[in-house]
Amino acid sequence: MLSMLSNPVVLGQIVVNGLSLSSIYILVALGFTLLFGIMRVVNFAHGEFAMLGGFSLYYLYAVFKLPWLLAIALVPFLVALPALLLEWLVFRWFYQKMFQSMIGLLGLNMAMIYTGLIVWDAFERNIPAAFDGIVRFGGVIAPIDRLVTIGISLLALAGFYFLMVHTRWGLAMRAAAQDVDIAATQGIDTRRIYKLAFVVAIGLAALAGALYGQIYAVSPFMGERPLFVAFVVVILGGMGSISGAALGGVLLGFTESLLGTLYGGSVAAYASFGVVVLLLIFRPWGLLGKPE
Amino acid sequence: MFQDKVKFVVGPIGSNPVLSTMEVTTPQKVLLMSNGYTPKILQNDHKASYNFRFTLTNIEFAPSMMKWVKDNLKLKKVGILVPNDAIGQSVAPPLVKLYKESGIETVVDYYERGSKEFSPLITRLMAAGIDGFDINFNAPGEAGLMVKQARQIGFDKTILQMGGPSVPEIIEVAGKQAEGFVSYEMVDFDAPAVVPFVKAYAAKYGAGIMNSQTPAFYNTTKILFEAIRRAGTVEDTTKVRDAVEGIAGYDAGIYGPVRWTGMANYGVNHQLALPFYVVEVKNGKPVNRATLQVD
Repeated sequence: MLSMLSNPVVLGQIVVNGLSLSSIYILVALGFTLLFGIMRVVNFAHGEFAMLGGFSLYYLYAVFKLPWLLAIALVPFLVALPALLLEWLVFRWFYQKMFQSMIGLLGLNMAMIYTGLIVWDAFERNIPAAFDGIVRFGGVIAPIDRLVTIGISLLALAGFYFLMVHTRWGLAMRAAAQDVDIAATQGIDTRRIYKLAFVVAIGLAALAGALYGQIYAVSPFMGERPLFVAFVVVILGGMGSISGAALGGVLLGFTESLLGTLYGGSVAAYASFGVVVLLLIFRPWGLLGKPE
Repeated sequence: MFQDKVKFVVGPIGSNPVLSTMEVTTPQKVLLMSNGYTPKILQNDHKASYNFRFTLTNIEFAPSMMKWVKDNLKLKKVGILVPNDAIGQSVAPPLVKLYKESGIETVVDYYERGSKEFSPLITRLMAAGIDGFDINFNAPGEAGLMVKQARQIGFDKTILQMGGPSVPEIIEVAGKQAEGFVSYEMVDFDAPAVVPFVKAYAAKYGAGIMNSQTPAFYNTTKILFEAIRRAGTVEDTTKVRDAVEGIAGYDAGIYGPVRWTGMANYGVNHQLALPFYVVEVKNGKPVNRATLQVD
């Protein structure tokens, strides 16, 4: 098995596959970790907002033929702004109530999946590749659409970091994350900040779902895998930690690529979840999270 | 069955639902026209007394198709990717045996059900030196992604499906990457007998994707109606069962005259022998490369 690593083409392909997987995983996990970090909400409906992002790109780009850059830029707004209605109807009742949010949003998750099934159907739809073709580096091959996803993930990560660390909104969100009551006594409108964090988190989920849907396929059930990935990534990195989401995404992506290529899919899954179990036993706050 | 007094069932889809349904329908003498791959649907303690299968399984189509693959595709080593569950573990060994009997080497790998990313596993198969990639019995969405991702990481050799079939769904998911994909197919969508059905289906259900099994459901329902007409009863299912068994030669319109088979493999002639096809995707559409018959 390890002899494969002496083949530079296979090794290069492992790196390309790992980078590609990591970028998708990071994007999927960012919004999930934000909602938990600030509002202590475990968003079990995260994958379904990703699904709505996938369908939004499908209609904007594949059906209405908008330019891809415009379509992908519109997706987060198209999903996140109407989702404010769900924030008012459902989410706001679960802020700072971690366990209630799990069950409540699991219900929302099911409702969204089966509404999707009624509106559309169970068939998987293809969003045509905006950047068709491949790039060769020696014998290593990288699909251009994956390279674009890597670029967008890096941009999203950088933008998200800038928002959280270098803006007053970010400062207010971090203050609310540390202690919502103290933040309110300092004049922060926490209700407004929660809404902002919600829009950002859902926008990121929608963006992730659009790219995920374009790489894989779009269907009412497509949100299950992103939710699953988001969970693993944020547990690895630390619930609520942005840098943790990035680290968790890279770890999961490269583990799947390396072990999947060397030893097969079962060993990769076994190792990924083995690490998660060990981490929950010995460092339950994750690699870069903070103990409560 | 007990509340609505149902006497005939067309469906359900898939081995496990069929096996479960059969245990209720057979004691009640309810006629079950089903599909599903497992031999147990026909090979069972009830001797399939009230159930018939209207789609082919690999037992019927694989020998003829394997001969065609051997003669036409000239493969030496085929990679096979299956889910790591009961279906994958039961599907892989007979397929490997069949390839081996045809002098073709195989490399089998397993993925976790629900995976969407197959690039690492396909890289692994490519590193083993395969010149063919068989996506076999995988579900349409997963099969489509396998085709797409194999092409995206540079696998430019034969991709085939000795199973399914789900060609329209694979074209939908894999897009341009489906070009050159070779598959078993249950129906020739361009055949004069099928075109009116496809048009009528599109008129009623819209221009969405029609699964390859849909015409088979229509076909078997017509066979059932004809058998009921010949038996002259909707109450006595034993008479209707006997009429279905004796309906050989009746042309239900899609697949030509009915022929029952299965005695050699299942001990009962309750398996519909349909013609089947090998298609290749060209310019985004399946093109018929061969029409084959069940031996």
